Amino acid sequence: MSRRPSSAPKFAAWRFWVVSLLLLTLCSLLIGRLVLIQAIDKDHGSEFLKKQGAMRAVRLAEIPAYRGLITDRRGEPLAVSTPVVSLWANPAHLTDSGRLDELAAALNISVGDLRKRLALYGDKQFMYLARHQTPDQARRVLDLKIAGVRSEREYRRFYPAGEVVSQVIGLTNVDGQGIAGLEKAFDEWLLGHPGKKRYLKDLHGDAVRDIGVVTEARPGKELALSIDLRLQYLQHRELQRAMVETGAEAGAAVTIDAWTGEILAMTNHPVFNPNSRAGFDYAATRNRVVTDAFEPGSTIKPLTLVAALESGKFTIDTLIDTSPGRIRVGRKVLPDPSNYGEISVSRIIEKSSQVGVTKIAQAIGHEPVLDVYRRFGLGVSSGIGFPGERAGIVPNRERWSDIEKVTLAFGYGLTATPLQIAHAYTVFANKGLRIPLTLLKRSPEQTVDGERVVSEATASEVLTVLGRVTGEHGTAKRARVDGFSVGGKTGTVHKVGAGGYIDDQYLALFVGIAPMDNPRYVTAIVVDQPKGDAYGGGAAAAPIYSRITNGVLRLRNAVPAIEAPTETRLVALGGGQ
Amino acid sequence: MALNRQSMMSALLVTLCLGSALGVIYSSHVCREFYAALQELEAQRWASQEQYSRLLLEHSTLASPHRVLGLAEDQLQMHAPNVESTRVVTR
Repeated sequence: MSRRPSSAPKFAAWRFWVVSLLLLTLCSLLIGRLVLIQAIDKDHGSEFLKKQGAMRAVRLAEIPAYRGLITDRRGEPLAVSTPVVSLWANPAHLTDSGRLDELAAALNISVGDLRKRLALYGDKQFMYLARHQTPDQARRVLDLKIAGVRSEREYRRFYPAGEVVSQVIGLTNVDGQGIAGLEKAFDEWLLGHPGKKRYLKDLHGDAVRDIGVVTEARPGKELALSIDLRLQYLQHRELQRAMVETGAEAGAAVTIDAWTGEILAMTNHPVFNPNSRAGFDYAATRNRVVTDAFEPGSTIKPLTLVAALESGKFTIDTLIDTSPGRIRVGRKVLPDPSNYGEISVSRIIEKSSQVGVTKIAQAIGHEPVLDVYRRFGLGVSSGIGFPGERAGIVPNRERWSDIEKVTLAFGYGLTATPLQIAHAYTVFANKGLRIPLTLLKRSPEQTVDGERVVSEATASEVLTVLGRVTGEHGTAKRARVDGFSVGGKTGTVHKVGAGGYIDDQYLALFVGIAPMDNPRYVTAIVVDQPKGDAYGGGAAAAPIYSRITNGVLRLRNAVPAIEAPTETRLVALGGGQ
Repeated sequence: MALNRQSMMSALLVTLCLGSALGVIYSSHVCREFYAALQELEAQRWASQEQYSRLLLEHSTLASPHRVLGLAEDQLQMHAPNVESTRVVTR
């Protein structure tokens, strides 16, 4: 039955058509599918497929941006972003690695710890091995070329001036956000905005090539402070020295250029090292100059004097009888250290006589005093925008007892920060104008509008009295500075404890203005709980003021009042601005 | 003749097509080179920043007021001039 094929195969038309049809069908299927993917199907079309492809190969990487530099007024760096390397790993890849011993040794941790952490993050794709390593440290680990260990570039804050200016500058957290001090206050300004770039990765996760920058990294902006690092260091050194000498618990100092409102130096004790978080004491990060409000005591008497002079009932030469050296107000007896007899208003401030001030307060009433306090900015925050700044309290009550009316005039029953007190004193140096404070550098051309708080005549009279406080009869002879005349006011305040005033714990205060012939620099000193007999403002705080002001005037090129020499000698000159 | 013109046309198109293909190859090569240069520069920038921060650390250690003061007082026996040794020069 088998047929032998013919030698010349016969063309079978139907076969040709079948094959053609088959091929045509396949071809049109392909074309149809293409059209479907490219043009018709939106959900699973080309976009979807591209996305799927990208998900497998294209990655976004962060381009780190550095945080803005903080400098002092002369351009010395105070806070700098420095490049560091963070090491990370994919726990899934690393757990089975046979080189954990090597890795742990390079990271300076025990193998046990490393295993524990790998187990903890076992179900994750990412864990940090070590953050913020110096590039050299990181290189040592990366040079081992252990599979699964990767690096990431970041910036870390470094503070070249260390503890000297630590409370003012503040801190950033590990992610580079400001969490304290000026780092927090100006976070928006300083913050760098990291950029993004797109890159292709291979199977191992290594970058093969960059496709392009999605957003440029925008580094943070620079911030120039009004602080002068030289003065800051000087103040820091004198304050620390005084803390040792007086055995005090804490202290604070601030120096203001009254003419421009710039804060030139602001220091605190205790201090902390911002470059090391080991043994970190959060209490030491407090910038006491702005965060601690207390009763200003006698340092407020110049403001009472303003109220007295403005009342028209007193001049600085009006005589007041302070004998017998004590006065009864309500149930309380206010004593003077001794019976001063009949003395002038000026001498009352020089001696800081409670009896004298009480008589003035009783004569003018408490309202004018309160009014002066408010005009001088007490009870209102200073406007420098420092995080945690306190505004202090100026009481505003309906009924005033006799004793309250009087104690208000000598600085009890209200609270203020050292900065507020210093700011109030700048008014006397500015002929009655109150210029807003700043921690940022003001350019010399920049004019700042002051607010008139008292008349020029009154300001100059108070200034005269302040100059006498450091004189022969005053309480602050130890505040004197060689070659310059300085003025100021002492204060010794009982500390407040759980049960009211504590008998043997004091705050010693001094606020001074220098130089008196051309008043410009206001410095406030607070010594918290000085030990021993030298606990008063004149004994504990005034000497610090003297040493600090000596340096301030020298470094700021103030001209000392010295007699013309009879012989020629070498001339010692201070530095520039 | 028409056929000849057609084949000339297609030859031209093929040449253009090849030329553009070679152009793509060349430009992607240049792109890769530029990218390599960019990465080189970025690495350099990073290295410079590294060095800057190292130098800054050194500088702040060596030039810290504390150290300068110590050197001036202890090694060079210097001191801040007191009023007696100061003279004011008026211009």
